[in-house]
Amino acid sequence: MRNPYLPLPMKLVKNFTETDDKLIHTFTLEFLSEADEASFKYTPGQFAELCVFGKGEAPFGIASSPTEPGHLKFSVAKVGVVSTALHLMEEGTIVGVRGPLGNSFPIEDFKGKNLVIIGGGFAFTTLRALTAYILNPANRGDFGKLTVIYGARTPGLLLYKEELAEWEKRDDIELVCTIDRPAEGWNGRVGFVPAVTKEVAPSADNAYAVICGPPVMIKFTMPELEALGFPPERIIMSLENRMKCGIGMCGRCNVGNKYVCKDGPVFTRAELNQLPNEY
Amino acid sequence: MPELTGAIREAAKKLLDEKKVDVVIGFAPGSLPLRSTPCFVRRPEDAAGLLWNRSCENNLANYLRKRSDKAAVVAKGCDSRAIVELIKENQIDRENLFIIGVPCTGMIDRQKVARKLAGRELLAAEENGDNVILKGRDFSETVPAAELLHDSCLSCRHPNPVIYDLLVGEPLPEKEGVDFSDVNAFEAKSPAERRAYLTEEFSRCIRCYACRQACPMCYCEECFVDCSTPQWIGKSSEAQDNLLFQAVRVFHSAGRCADCGACERACPMGLKLHLLTRKMVKDVQELFGYDAGVNPEEKPALADFKAEDPQPFLIKE
Amino acid sequence: MIINKNELAGFLDRLRAGYQVYAPVKEKDYTVFKEIGSGEEATLDYCNSKIPPKGILFPQTEKLFSYSCGPDGARVEEHIDDRKKVIFGLRPCDAKSLVLLDNVFNNDKYQDPYYLTRRENTTLIGLGCNHPAQTCFCTSLGGGPFDTAGLDALLVDTGDKYVVEVLSDKGKALFSGLALPAAGDAERTAAAAVKEAATVDCLVNLNGLKEKLDVNFYDPIWDGLHEKCLGCAACTYTCPTCHCFDIVDDAVDADGCRVRNWDACMFPIFTLHGSGHNPRPTGKERFRQRVMHKFKYFVDNFNAMACVGCGRCIKNCPVNLDIRNVLAEIQGSEARSDK
Repeated sequence: MRNPYLPLPMKLVKNFTETDDKLIHTFTLEFLSEADEASFKYTPGQFAELCVFGKGEAPFGIASSPTEPGHLKFSVAKVGVVSTALHLMEEGTIVGVRGPLGNSFPIEDFKGKNLVIIGGGFAFTTLRALTAYILNPANRGDFGKLTVIYGARTPGLLLYKEELAEWEKRDDIELVCTIDRPAEGWNGRVGFVPAVTKEVAPSADNAYAVICGPPVMIKFTMPELEALGFPPERIIMSLENRMKCGIGMCGRCNVGNKYVCKDGPVFTRAELNQLPNEY
Repeated sequence: MPELTGAIREAAKKLLDEKKVDVVIGFAPGSLPLRSTPCFVRRPEDAAGLLWNRSCENNLANYLRKRSDKAAVVAKGCDSRAIVELIKENQIDRENLFIIGVPCTGMIDRQKVARKLAGRELLAAEENGDNVILKGRDFSETVPAAELLHDSCLSCRHPNPVIYDLLVGEPLPEKEGVDFSDVNAFEAKSPAERRAYLTEEFSRCIRCYACRQACPMCYCEECFVDCSTPQWIGKSSEAQDNLLFQAVRVFHSAGRCADCGACERACPMGLKLHLLTRKMVKDVQELFGYDAGVNPEEKPALADFKAEDPQPFLIKE
Repeated sequence: MIINKNELAGFLDRLRAGYQVYAPVKEKDYTVFKEIGSGEEATLDYCNSKIPPKGILFPQTEKLFSYSCGPDGARVEEHIDDRKKVIFGLRPCDAKSLVLLDNVFNNDKYQDPYYLTRRENTTLIGLGCNHPAQTCFCTSLGGGPFDTAGLDALLVDTGDKYVVEVLSDKGKALFSGLALPAAGDAERTAAAAVKEAATVDCLVNLNGLKEKLDVNFYDPIWDGLHEKCLGCAACTYTCPTCHCFDIVDDAVDADGCRVRNWDACMFPIFTLHGSGHNPRPTGKERFRQRVMHKFKYFVDNFNAMACVGCGRCIKNCPVNLDIRNVLAEIQGSEARSDK
């Protein structure tokens, strides 16, 4: 019987300060062997429990895509014991990873469809995984038009700035980045994500919407998506909840009769409408 | 105590009829023999469900903190002392609280009843004057209530409520002096004996925090056991950590603990928590001459400094 | 087969040769299941244990693995207990609770090797209830004082002896070679009479309860139901079907172990996010979660209520919050009857 509580050791090779307020770092972790990598087959949308030996574990969405072999990427906000330890960690330290956990974005359902990916602030991590996966040459042909709307409070708080710059140059993705208020040096769009979504008005025809962000962003963007004609079965969301075991046994992360760790974190709007509003 | 029950029901009904309060917090019959349960009465006709007897052991002051409505509460002596301290700590708005004070002759300890029955199930019980009749499958025993009262009730010095808006029943004679014989007996043991006793006792603690939740004075938004940065104490159920939890909790209640025994009554494992709380009450009395909740005008002991406070750590005696 | 009561200690000592034997043991004013060092320590003269025997398969504090971490890697050593055990003299409700917990620790995607290894290596010998307590309501949940769900053998107390009913291959394996005297007609008749006479007086009507819980999540009924609840875990930690746990590290620098401890959805920070957001901010949401989980979500996922009617929560609640009254209130009046 495989022991789902045992972490896989990995080496932290890069500790990168992602945002200008220094509160979010992106960590690149390398597998210690090919056998280890072969044991960790994941798909965009999944998460893993990152373990700092001696401090504890915490769940983080996997920001890298399986099309980027050899390593895993996580973006972590500094809020508690584990995240603080990670932020202070020296490159070369051994950490543990338990996973991949959870379900993933319904990639099979997305094939042949247009995709509208909407993210806010720090919640862009698994959306990066999804976008990178789709943009990979081996996969791009399977999907239709790709629109990505990504908003943050200020330019400095946008994640993955290098990638965003690269994606901007491509013609197989329409990338719209936006910030809340005008800022010096920013020539891009200004406006909250719900308003920008309305402006960009992506077509709901043969399309799925994938949305991840803080509750207030979801609250005001959802009506825009509905107005554009996206039915609840084609609006995909990724939930967060406090987790411990990650395997649906410790009883902590449930929303109604579903465990966010095991039955999620990816749910359709239609599925969430069946569950109590307790998240 | 049918007269007290009647008086409480009448007072509650009147308060609700006249809309002086939104809710009356009192006791209703429990679902088991010799038990009553806290109840929240909001309609005048429901006041008839209130009662008062020797099973009203919970400290209802626990439900009074930071209420946004006007409430009335049925309070015995120890409960009222907790209310006094909570008022000093700004947890209760005196203007929005109506206290129905009840002089208390003591509450029955279910652990003592269980020990008396030695494993037999209690199916029914009746209070009969100073006696309690315990009935089971093949037995009916009459026991003097005094034999079944909580130890904290036996050593209680304040049976009458210290503050109230309405006193129900006749005040009881106050008892003179103090009785810390239980604490003294424990202090007379050697440190090794004490350690052995406490380790054994607290190896049985299951860290359910019933003691903390039942205590009216434990209301920190983040209890020290839940703090992770820094982590003050382990979360596992382990004798040394369990004892440390209780000891720190008692220290946090120093000068505030009304000696009501709610913690020990709530403990499902029957731990002798009262030993630690009474030791703290004794120390505060000896060091600062302060008894929690007895004088509404007096500043809390640990929030005040007097020139005559003992300072053995500063002054060589 | 029969075991004479005056030979019980000897029987348990013989079992100890091949198994770790857990039996009810008196401790202070209550009974708990402990590993016995000698047959004399056990007592079957008890109503039910304070803490349910689930703690033998799923301990309150359990080391999952130890680790020591250096620049080249981490050495991880798991601690899985595969010793053979017997839980002797547990009540049918507690045995049934393990059948329910099996769903949790062996779910549609993952298996918990700690619980499952112990479970596989443990034989359950139950003791039927001649005199169910007033707080018992097992029959309302499909159980009963002589129910056999989850048991490998069942003992029936006929006064001076126990009549043994072997129920499974595991039970058969345990009793083979012990050469216990056979049960005669008189003993079997006595056992049948005892079973016939045992009654559970309290009935809670649970028909239609799940359907009500399917729709009353936002109903104001919860405002009143939770009000006196203190938010402690006395009910949780004495409940045979509760299974929530926390995982922590106990270490010095990067050497130490990962430990799991029982936790409770009743505690305020159980669902607190790192951001400070708490989906269950007050006692009302947490109390509702407890009832919903046990009487609706568990049914949705596993077709069974996560309650065996053992009554421990009723006996141990500091404010006498009685789950039977809660369920009856949700069901509407006349849902509960006690003889």
